[in-house]
Amino acid sequence: MAGDAKMADALTIEGINKVFERTGKPSVEALRDINLSIREGEFVSIVGASGSGKSTLLRIIDGLLPASSGVVRVSGHAVTQPGADRAMVFQQDALLPWKTVIDNVAYGLLIAGTPRRDAHATAQRFIDMAGLKGFEQHYPHQLSGGMRQRVNVARALAVNPKILLLDEPFAALDAQTREIMQTELLNIWQKSGTTVLLITHQIDEAVFLSDRVIVFSARPGSVREEIPIPLPRPRDLELKRHEAFGALVDRIWHLIEHEVRSAVANNRA
Amino acid sequence: MSTAGSLTWRGVYDFLEGRSRAAALLRMLISVAFVLAVWQLIATYLVTNKLLLVPPADVFEALGKEGASGALWTNALATVSAVGAAFPVAVLLGVGIGLALASSRLLALTAGPMLTALNSVPLVALAPLFIAWLGLGFASKFVLVTIFTIFPVLVTTETGLKATDKILIEAARSFNASRWQIFTTVTLPFAVPFIVSGIRVAWARALVAIIIAEFFGSFAGFGYAILAAGQSFDTATLLAYVIMLGMLGLMGSVFFEWLERRLAPWRQE
Repeated sequence: MAGDAKMADALTIEGINKVFERTGKPSVEALRDINLSIREGEFVSIVGASGSGKSTLLRIIDGLLPASSGVVRVSGHAVTQPGADRAMVFQQDALLPWKTVIDNVAYGLLIAGTPRRDAHATAQRFIDMAGLKGFEQHYPHQLSGGMRQRVNVARALAVNPKILLLDEPFAALDAQTREIMQTELLNIWQKSGTTVLLITHQIDEAVFLSDRVIVFSARPGSVREEIPIPLPRPRDLELKRHEAFGALVDRIWHLIEHEVRSAVANNRA
Repeated sequence: MSTAGSLTWRGVYDFLEGRSRAAALLRMLISVAFVLAVWQLIATYLVTNKLLLVPPADVFEALGKEGASGALWTNALATVSAVGAAFPVAVLLGVGIGLALASSRLLALTAGPMLTALNSVPLVALAPLFIAWLGLGFASKFVLVTIFTIFPVLVTTETGLKATDKILIEAARSFNASRWQIFTTVTLPFAVPFIVSGIRVAWARALVAIIIAEFFGSFAGFGYAILAAGQSFDTATLLAYVIMLGMLGLMGSVFFEWLERRLAPWRQE
């Protein structure tokens, strides 16, 4: 029994469908029959062409959007609204510009009713973990893009979520900063032991970080293939030069190449 | 020799363009001195008819005379007390109506167009009507200033509340914030700088309204004094009161600009 509990799924997604009804226009099927389960402590990424409904799925899991049918369960409990067991990091800058770093990191705790002193103590721990020590009293506009995204990650982790949802968190960063942030995310993940579901366009990012990569096909979004990433941990940037790494990236690229090309063509048209 | 000269000038320009308080003060002094010099030249050589234009020295002399006789203080008290009473009321009403419009779709759809129409009517044209209703003096001034001043505050409040970054609201929802929490921690702080800039515009309108009200009917105030001086062809006294009015406008504008910077430092960058 104890063994069962240990192997329990942190997140299960059962038969999720999502159709956007639009008045006066044809409805759009965004997701079709998504079934996934993610083990506790696992790092899973979803990759796919633009328009494959990845972000929609993440919003359904977070409880920001209702599914048209199907169930999302976190540790067995069905999700109907946002909750403290999940936390999301958005692609765009979602920090409150009028709050300092420490107040931003404490935001989720304060919303949940944690006393200010306790919230700040917890926030301080995650600020240290995210390498932001000394910047507690800075405002977001005084930080670089990479640092702002660290604040976003710290804010999400501060509420002690079972599952961390990352919506292309490094997409707005330059290539060098992105690589550094990837290794830092791995460190933070290993320290916190949280389950992570990441959405990304970058195949190499998904392979580098994940235990498993889910490849989505587009319009409507559905699971095309699940690729286990059996690369050893802990990982560092050296790994990206290994043959096995390159082979995995190639394999995933071939799975979505056709759809990425047609998405690009559609955008041009 | 000429390069050294141009270098010195460049240094002066760099200093003047700087953000220091001394530079701002010097900029203001230079422009005031320039206006006074041009004015003096025109009054001495171009328009020598003292009914039409008097040199600055005469105006300051008239100002001193009004101050000594006590008329300046009586008029200042009448104008400042009416504006001082009406302006805060107008700001509160403007913010209140703006909040109501932003939070109720029904109200925005029904009352919104009417308010827009009312805003485009030059409401000062109603001044004689208010004076007929409320008599000469404080009450009619109070109402006219209030009604004329509400609109910029109302419009910017509604705009500010509706302009809130969707991503900030989504992030707050992701932490399971209630509607009230989203209002107090996200939309209202986001709207504050908008509201302050509305108040800054409103201050200029309040001064227009008080002068109109005092033109139409009153026994004291800057508007009354300007009209009286004009009717007795006392150009120096007329301009003295216009300068007082300008000072009042400038003081408000400087104060609200400072408040805007203070409340929203992140909007400077």
